[in-house]
Amino acid sequence: MIRVFASLAWNGFREARRNRVSVVIAAFTLALVGASAVMADVTVYTMRRVVTDFGLGAMAILLSVMAIFLSSGLLTREIERRTIFLMVSRPVSRGLFLVSRLAGNMLTLGAMLLVMSAVFFLQLIVFGISPSAPQLIAAGVLWFELLVLTSFGFLMSSFSGQVTSSVVTVGMFFAGHLANDMYELSARSKSEVVRAAGKAVYYLLPNLERLNYRGAAAYEVTPPLGEVFQSALYSVGYSTVLVALAILLFNRRDFR
Amino acid sequence: MSDAPLPIETRELSKTYRLGFFMNRKVRALQGVSLSVRPGEVYGLLGPNGAGKSTTIKILMNLVQASSGEARLFGQPSQDCAARQEVGFLPENPAPYEYLSGAEFVRLAGSLGGLFGRELDRRVAETLGEVGMEHAASLPIRRYSKGMIQRIGLAQAIVTRPKLLILDEPTSGLDPVGRRQMRDLVSAERARGTTVLFCTHIIPDVEALCDRVAVLVSGKLVKEGSVRDLVTSQVPLVELVIEGLGLSQVRALGEPLQFEQEIGQRVTVRTDDAAGQRLLRAVLSAGGRVAQLSPARFSLEDLFMETVAGAKQKVGGEIN
Ligand SMILES: Nc1ncnc2c1ncn2[C@@H]1O[C@H](COP(=O)(O)OP(=O)(O)OP(=O)(O)O)[C@@H](O)[C@H]1O
Ligand SMILES: [Mg+2]
Repeated sequence: MIRVFASLAWNGFREARRNRVSVVIAAFTLALVGASAVMADVTVYTMRRVVTDFGLGAMAILLSVMAIFLSSGLLTREIERRTIFLMVSRPVSRGLFLVSRLAGNMLTLGAMLLVMSAVFFLQLIVFGISPSAPQLIAAGVLWFELLVLTSFGFLMSSFSGQVTSSVVTVGMFFAGHLANDMYELSARSKSEVVRAAGKAVYYLLPNLERLNYRGAAAYEVTPPLGEVFQSALYSVGYSTVLVALAILLFNRRDFR
Repeated sequence: MSDAPLPIETRELSKTYRLGFFMNRKVRALQGVSLSVRPGEVYGLLGPNGAGKSTTIKILMNLVQASSGEARLFGQPSQDCAARQEVGFLPENPAPYEYLSGAEFVRLAGSLGGLFGRELDRRVAETLGEVGMEHAASLPIRRYSKGMIQRIGLAQAIVTRPKLLILDEPTSGLDPVGRRQMRDLVSAERARGTTVLFCTHIIPDVEALCDRVAVLVSGKLVKEGSVRDLVTSQVPLVELVIEGLGLSQVRALGEPLQFEQEIGQRVTVRTDDAAGQRLLRAVLSAGGRVAQLSPARFSLEDLFMETVAGAKQKVGGEIN
């Protein structure tokens, strides 16, 4: 089973590489170089903040788009192209197939995150800025944010088409980042219903801001490690629920 | 018979596809199909387009869920993934991952089937040879022709040396050489003791390969049996080729004719044995010549045509 998992996950990574996801990394590098050319004369402190802000921000946006693009519609695409027939007709359960494909995506995103971080830190060093712990934490926790996005994409993909699932996943991405704000807004409402709805949405949606340490990195604030660990755990827990749901739906589906 | 579990057994298998926004349109693709395939036999599934052959196979491979009834592979419910441990499957129009090369895909399939290391290397190389793809094995599948994809599909089915092969139109898209190779391959598999279930529209292939056949029409099993029994159960006919008389003159001789044809100066008719002898005498005394008298081989194709016509098949399952 481990072998099957590894083969499928590795194959997912290979698929991404052959479909030239490296273009995204090139785009990221270009963006960083371009941005640094613009900032010629600012103080070191501002520079550190702006470069961190921009670098981590660009990384987060590009990788989130990648996560959504790679995950939503993946299962449906496999069904429509009938590539899945040759996979699940093996002694491989649909659940294992789904989890392995997800692992393949996370491997791809992880590898991209590593390369992008390397480029980012290299740029910092070129500017004479020493990389710091908050930046490292922000980059690392980004992977867990991508995990939630990917799991959600898979859940959508287990029952709906490419377009629907990417649109809904993008929606979830924004809502997840605004979850805190929405909660606070609704809490101030006079209507009981709105408050209850706000609360429900808050608890249902993943709180993606919880996995966003990029602001802290820009201001050189080191978050307590216990909290970071909890956030990561939160992401894993939330994703597990999403994946379990996805498997449940996927198991009932006819492939034709 | 030994009490080893049957490679394939289905009981009262039915499938109704529900379509439309309200799921109110129904297509009855299968209705109460029970069949069993014994160890080591080659079993052919025949039927016109839309008869439900692929649906049956998809249920066996757990790609589609039966609406009712049950399907077992080696005694295990087809829903269990362990049931597919010893099964190799070639779907109709196989679609391997296009970004892989043929060899990479066969290797992936082998590793999902439980092979690894040296054994995997060896089997991949062997199998690619068996399907005649060793030259193009390193090309991406995106660059393959239909027949080449079909061959890779076949390779991935046999790479694990399964005890049961399920092939959905294996010769579709193959050139004549490929078709012959396919037949040889199935024969070789049978010789090794592999059980094979395949469906096809090419009846000579069935006659050449199958021990038993089933004919599906409109989702129902209308005939099942050994090829020899099915063919010889028919009344033997004789065929006469007559010269010197026109078709109308032959008809006027008053014997019951099953088949009649007039091409140029020759009339060909078929009739049963006794009538044939009488007809021979009558033709001669009417001044005609019998150029040829031979037993008319009643082919599986004739039987197939007759069965389908008898079942009053509309193409496809019942739609309402
Ligand atoms: N996805 C689907 N949705 C609705 N109906 C379907 C679907 N797939 C198949 N059917 C119906 O099920 C019936 C059987 O189809 P199936 O594919 O099993 O036929 P087949 O015997 O394999 O035919 P062919 O020789 O053309 O391959 C047909 O009437 C078809 O319309
Ligand atoms: Mg078919």
